Amino acid sequence: MSEFTDPVTGADAVGDPHAPAVGGAGWSDGAGQSDAGETGAKSDDGAVNETGTTTVGIATDEGVVVATDRRASLGGRFVSNKSVQKVEQIHPTAVLTLVGSVGGAQSFVRTLRAEADLYEVERGDPMRIHALATLAGNFARGGPWFAINPVLAGVDDEGAHVYSVDPAGGVMADDYTVTGSGMQLAYGTIEGEYDREMSLADARDLAVRAVEAASARDTGSGNGVYVATVTGDGVDIEGFDETADALAPR
Amino acid sequence: MQGQQQQAYDRGITIFSPDGRLYQVEYAREAVKRGSASIGIRAEDGVVLAADVNPRSPLMEGRSVEKIHKADDHIGIASAGHVADGRQLIDFARRSAQVNRLRYEEPISVEALTKEVTDHIQQYTQVGGARPFGVALIVGGIENGEPRLFETDPSGTPYEWQATAIGGDREALHGHLEDNYREDLDLDGGIALALETLAESDDGFDPDTVEVTTVDVDSMRVRALDREAVATRAAELGVEGDDE
Repeated sequence: MSEFTDPVTGADAVGDPHAPAVGGAGWSDGAGQSDAGETGAKSDDGAVNETGTTTVGIATDEGVVVATDRRASLGGRFVSNKSVQKVEQIHPTAVLTLVGSVGGAQSFVRTLRAEADLYEVERGDPMRIHALATLAGNFARGGPWFAINPVLAGVDDEGAHVYSVDPAGGVMADDYTVTGSGMQLAYGTIEGEYDREMSLADARDLAVRAVEAASARDTGSGNGVYVATVTGDGVDIEGFDETADALAPR
Repeated sequence: MQGQQQQAYDRGITIFSPDGRLYQVEYAREAVKRGSASIGIRAEDGVVLAADVNPRSPLMEGRSVEKIHKADDHIGIASAGHVADGRQLIDFARRSAQVNRLRYEEPISVEALTKEVTDHIQQYTQVGGARPFGVALIVGGIENGEPRLFETDPSGTPYEWQATAIGGDREALHGHLEDNYREDLDLDGGIALALETLAESDDGFDPDTVEVTTVDVDSMRVRALDREAVATRAAELGVEGDDE
């Protein structure tokens, strides 16, 4: 609490840098994880739907590609949904993947989307991707979103960016990144194949093949692929029942 | 009876007069006019803030009267009116600027910071038991490589300017700025125009009690000119003190 209070509401007038400006379901007034844990909000650990998941983000000079599988499971042992869209647009030129607890990830997407919209209407320009990633890290660290591990990918006036966001709020930029239970399989596919100057079409193929490899061996991943392509012009998201259908014809 | 009715909207901050005015806000604007002047000028390569500190006694340490403040690395704020009210708003602005860095890991834009401050000011025109801030500010800095210059007033309205003056003699100083401002001014020309404009003030002009601060596009840093530099520049311009 700063020394400045809102004379109307009595709330802190300067604002909490780690709390959403709007919404913030389950936010416990800055107390963060410890309070929420005691009240049972950490039941994200129990018998809830998880995306298990393989989500891949690849940045190139032309833009970024994100590919995800489509499986939701209970503990990776029962497939509870076969057509989940695990990549969502949250900003005019950025997407976020849903990894971990489905409820937590969906709530996180809604909150970040609202923050990005609010920032843009208040300030006239869309958020830079680094600002969006910082905000996502703050929320993951201080808020009621525990079991999530998304990829944040987007394009701004400084170029194409890929970030991973971990449940403790760790935010790391990279040329390419993978999160979810199939990450080691997907990384194996990308390693050695990646080139920052590769075309967006080649990056897309590489991302799809990475998800394909993970789907073949990881029980938490499978059932086709969603592919998001982000350039300075915007976001395009497509879903495919079979990963092969997402690959360019050879 | 008549007198009591009049007092109701004269005193109550949240009460409109029958012709739609908020007298307490207008009185706060009068408080700003009682302060010595501050000037802001947007040049091509930065912004200039200048203020007449006007100490009441030669015994007072002139430096203890601060009218230009650094809000963040890239934003300076000049004030006119109640110094103590100004300090509260400066503190608010500094915290808001740091919250922006914590939240987004990027420097706050000049426009966004101005609006954070004016939204705060506005709340003190709409709540019973409070009084408005008796201070106006000029917020100047660099945003996306461009110099920006804003004013806040006691109503909580933000205005953007090429050049402006707040405080005493505002009309006269504004007239001088309107006649002499050019869009292609550089920082040095802006400093000259600021000193010449302050010298137009009826309060008298003493270069030893003038503060000048710049924020330039290249360094994006607030830089205060030392007193010797201000005095030298004023002497070059022939706007030396007229009361000595």
